[in-house]
Amino acid sequence: MSTIKNGYKILYQKLFHLDDRLLLIIAGSIAGICSGLAAVALRLSLESVLEWLHPFRHYGWAFIFPAIGALLSSLYLEKIAREGAGHGVPEVIYSVSRYGGLLRFRSSYSRLISSFLTIGSGGSAGPEAPVVMSGSAIGSSLAKFLGLNDRQRITLVGCGTAGAIASIFNAPIAGLVFSIEVILGEWKFVNIIPIAIAAVAGAQVSQAIIPEQVLFFHQPFNVGFPDIMASLCLALVTAMISVLFTKTLRQTGKLAKKAPFPLWVRAVIGGCIVGITGMFMPVVLAEGYHFIQSMISGTFSMGIFITFVAIFAKIFATSMTLGWGGSGGIFAPCLLIGSLTGIVFHKALFFLFPTIGCASEGAYALLGMTGIISGVMQAPLTGIFLIVEITGGYETILPLIVVSSISSTMSHYIEPASFYFKELIERGQFLRPGTDARILSDLNISELIQTEFIKVSENMVFRKFIEILKTSKQNFYPVIEDETGDYKGVIQISAIRKYALDPGMYDMIFLNQIMDTNVITASLENDLQEVLDMMDIDNMESIPVVENDRFIGMISKTRILDLYRRELIMQTSVQ
Amino acid sequence: MELSVFDLSKHLGVVPNTIERWIRQGKLPVSQKGAKYRFDTKELEKWASKHNIRLNFSDKDAIQKDIKSVIPLSAAVQNGGVFFDIQGTDVNSVLKSAIGKITNIPDDFKTDLLDRLIEREKALSTGIGNGIAIPHPREQLGYLTEPLVSICFLENPVDYKALDNQPVSVLFFILCPELKMHLHLLSALSFCLRDNQFTNFLKSRPDPIALIEKIEILQKANPI
Repeated sequence: MSTIKNGYKILYQKLFHLDDRLLLIIAGSIAGICSGLAAVALRLSLESVLEWLHPFRHYGWAFIFPAIGALLSSLYLEKIAREGAGHGVPEVIYSVSRYGGLLRFRSSYSRLISSFLTIGSGGSAGPEAPVVMSGSAIGSSLAKFLGLNDRQRITLVGCGTAGAIASIFNAPIAGLVFSIEVILGEWKFVNIIPIAIAAVAGAQVSQAIIPEQVLFFHQPFNVGFPDIMASLCLALVTAMISVLFTKTLRQTGKLAKKAPFPLWVRAVIGGCIVGITGMFMPVVLAEGYHFIQSMISGTFSMGIFITFVAIFAKIFATSMTLGWGGSGGIFAPCLLIGSLTGIVFHKALFFLFPTIGCASEGAYALLGMTGIISGVMQAPLTGIFLIVEITGGYETILPLIVVSSISSTMSHYIEPASFYFKELIERGQFLRPGTDARILSDLNISELIQTEFIKVSENMVFRKFIEILKTSKQNFYPVIEDETGDYKGVIQISAIRKYALDPGMYDMIFLNQIMDTNVITASLENDLQEVLDMMDIDNMESIPVVENDRFIGMISKTRILDLYRRELIMQTSVQ
Repeated sequence: MELSVFDLSKHLGVVPNTIERWIRQGKLPVSQKGAKYRFDTKELEKWASKHNIRLNFSDKDAIQKDIKSVIPLSAAVQNGGVFFDIQGTDVNSVLKSAIGKITNIPDDFKTDLLDRLIEREKALSTGIGNGIAIPHPREQLGYLTEPLVSICFLENPVDYKALDNQPVSVLFFILCPELKMHLHLLSALSFCLRDNQFTNFLKSRPDPIALIEKIEILQKANPI
């Protein structure tokens, strides 16, 4: 092992030191293959456990399955993996923006296991987010193994994500687009090629291992002019449903947090409710790929009313699963809700205009999916490209773009933050590269602080201070206590100018009488945003930094501007 | 509520040209009425919270409340009073008898005040020369409701270890509840004492009304 590593080190220094593109492409394809394998493994195991449980489904006590699954899943995450519940995508985004994509190796399998327990038992959730988490953790671990820097690690995290999505949907472009649009948030030339290759690698893995179980078969649709008009209306419907879905998900989550039960009890309650819903409406259980497939191929046989109810049942079940302690993502539920919406819309359309010559139910199911993905994740490109790849042709692209853009715009208007970002925005952790928030969080107080200051004693006579004033260029003088050296206050030249020009005052006052003790002080723990807010409140140009009663230095606006600008140049420059 | 470009520029602390550039670049939620641009406060608030920009329409006067009315020296002298024939042979005894005479100090605090004044004199004499001293404590006196400047004429000049080693015959006590007033009164007093006419006038031991009038005249020449 060590010889391999030494060999790699020599190779890295000789070959990749100046241009890491080749390295990133090779490492990215490995990350893509690994995350593709993870996705395939989760899919295969889900398929087999769902098949194994299928004979028991018609028993009355079967509603307990999702409860058991959610219980095991929450216990596993809390006690063994020691990770938070939830779908994991915000964590990946935060890690990319804050810690250069650093993720624990443990994350590469923990979410797979917990979501396998949740979804395999029938909980309503999607396997995509766990696979994304696992793929990005694989990419991050690979980068760690290769000793790469933050920038390169972020690329590999993107590669892992792309490979995972590409593999699960057999849709490489959707993988690429999702990875850049949602996870990385910047379209950089250096990122695109490795991620594209990783996406293709991931898709190839799933095609090679489970060719007969590819999620969506390519099938062409004939789309005409009436469909474009119809898709305008469909977009409005999907936007409404998206907003409803996002809001329900968040509200149930909040409600569950307020409930006075430990996590595992919550998981059991949520699981039971999902199980009972599933008794009446089996379409809501698990990830629902089978139903999606049947809807696209036009063999879905539920009536319009029941399908309509199923939309809300699925929204409810997904919220109960994810909000109350289960583990999994919202991608597959989005697809299912979208296709149900599409089908209902298509049926209603035929009911109202029986003679209209529009496309088949399957096409509308796909359009509905685009609408919901664009609305909930506010990732319009992912929605468009996923469906384009599923249908395998560009016949549907026009209505797809119509639905996707209208749906994402509408839901953005009502709910400005997408489901993935909302949590991060609320916690102030949404830090896209090159944004103000990102630069403010990257710049540390200790980088900005100026420490070269003449300190003066509080018992100094003003005349002596005037002597110091004559020879130094400082505008701020920290005043300290004689014996302890503790910070007492600060003297600002602009505030004492009147007295400094009055020789009659020189022998009359001591520094503790003219120092300003009410100046807000910052500490090293404050972040830059807080410091700037403090400066804003009192209109200060500089504020002292005090730690454990000791004066450490000053932070000035001039210095912040200098470093801010340099940081902006660094972050937005093209490597 | 609707705002104009000028109003918004005041709220954001930029010049109107900047607002116009932002409108041109499509960065502000603006509506156009004829040739004029108008901003809706609700939309602006939404925009500001989205972009993490501080925008406060409500209290504009918050900045002005800081400027407090400063008490003029003559008023402080009226508060403090003018006293004659203070007895004593050295610094401590002079201070003691002067404090005994000043009426506006609560009796309970007189011994404490004396200690503080003596301590201040030990650290550095407040005798500024020309027979004048300005005794004051280093800490502010929270129990006073108003700043006092008491002028005390001594019966006999006393060696005060002043800067010019001349014996002192006039004491200006500055006693303030707040530091800001103290600095202000000290500065105003030092302005008066730089005036030779005034110091000569002091030597004639004028009556309180004439003294306060003289201070008022000098005060007008040095408005703060």
